[in-house]
Amino acid sequence: MDVAAFWTRSWTNDDRPAVRKLLAPDVEVEWNLDAAVDDEELVRILRKIAVFADSVSVVARTEAEDGAALVYELAAPFGTARMIEFLAVADGRITEVRQVYDVTATDRFFPGLYER
Amino acid sequence: MPLPEIHLVGGTSTEAARLAPVATAMREQARVEPILLAAGPEPLTFAQTLGLFDLTAGLAVPAGADNAETICRLDQLWSTRTPAAVVVQGDAGASLPAAVAAYWRRIPVIHLDAGRRSGDLGATGLTEPNRRLLTQVSTLHLAAAPLAAMNLLDERVPGGDVLLTGNTGLDAALAIRDRLPPYADPALATLRHAGSTAPHRLLVVGLEHTDGVLLQLVRATVRRLTARYPDLDVVMLGTEPSGRSRRVVGAGPLAYADRARLLAEAYLVLTDDGDLQEEALTFGVPALIRHEMSDRMEPLYAGCARVVGPEPETMLNAVAELLDSRVRRDSMTATGNPYGDGRAAKRAAQATAALLGHGPFPEPMPARPTAGVSR
Repeated sequence: MDVAAFWTRSWTNDDRPAVRKLLAPDVEVEWNLDAAVDDEELVRILRKIAVFADSVSVVARTEAEDGAALVYELAAPFGTARMIEFLAVADGRITEVRQVYDVTATDRFFPGLYER
Repeated sequence: MPLPEIHLVGGTSTEAARLAPVATAMREQARVEPILLAAGPEPLTFAQTLGLFDLTAGLAVPAGADNAETICRLDQLWSTRTPAAVVVQGDAGASLPAAVAAYWRRIPVIHLDAGRRSGDLGATGLTEPNRRLLTQVSTLHLAAAPLAAMNLLDERVPGGDVLLTGNTGLDAALAIRDRLPPYADPALATLRHAGSTAPHRLLVVGLEHTDGVLLQLVRATVRRLTARYPDLDVVMLGTEPSGRSRRVVGAGPLAYADRARLLAEAYLVLTDDGDLQEEALTFGVPALIRHEMSDRMEPLYAGCARVVGPEPETMLNAVAELLDSRVRRDSMTATGNPYGDGRAAKRAAQATAALLGHGPFPEPMPARPTAGVSR
């Protein structure tokens, strides 16, 4: 199974059960947004992006033995932000998610994204 | 005990010239072991340019068809030979893929010439998004000028991660300006040799982003200038001149040595190319520019560059004014280069070592007051 592709398809289609199922119980999550993060918060934010964005597309993908790096284009109504996601995969589950957002564009085009 | 290995990644002639002084400074300071890594689209010119500084690329990774492939190749290299840190320069070529690959492996990324921005968040194209992403995956941001440092702070980069160093391009120019080889380009060699007994003044025209109609006007202006000034040579970069004057030649993409010699000999530059404007300044040559380049406002603020309108008479008068008065020309660069003081590479090398726990961080480059920026 292509875990990275399944992950992308799941969260961009707001399929939360599939997203949760893909994350290992002890998944480690990091991002560069100005907010604390854990797996619950990650799922919440990805859902907000999936709902708010006009489209989310993977514009580049690099494979490694134990994961993948993906570059997303997050198209919102008034502009586009990019995000790089690094996934570590073991036994068909995602054990690490590291996301690097273009924070300037994200704050502008996805206002209030990580506010509760 | 071996020194920590630092990989300085580049792939173009410009990147080679700007990384070379840093590698040299690292060797001199002997706190880290610099390895130059060719990973871009022009490995041959990268190597040739390093040769001018008596350096060679210790590693080479062929550039991929796209960034994803380049990331993959660098990741494979760094999975077996992991450097203590990676240095990238600017925001073109291999810089972003190298920074992303390093970040992926949790290798600290040191970004030279960080913080350059057009200020247009909605700009089409990938330059600005890639610049911002490069910043986000970098650990230490070495800015060439105060405005670049401020751009980084505006993007919420912690102040402690930003250091004003200056641009290492100036260090490179200072290192080689007295030992540049003769022109390899035959047309340039002929042009400049012809004037060697009583050296002609040299106008370098680089209008690579200008459309055909305006280019015709520029060519016509050049013809009038050479008619008015018998001691003027003109080199038109990236375009062919019109007419049959032996004092006007066109030149295609030049090797770094030829480009550096050309700018070292130039009296004045007329350009729409930000890189050329900046390189000219490293040799103390002022520039007339076709329009404001929002990611390179420092020369305008410092008076080293001036915007000149597209009308033939305006262009002619602006160039003639500086040809007629050496004092006016020299006064444009009298305050020095806003991009540095010739010590950027030493600061970059020291900062890299400091990041790894070897010695203190350097003092930032003293910032001069900049017009348009309140304190």
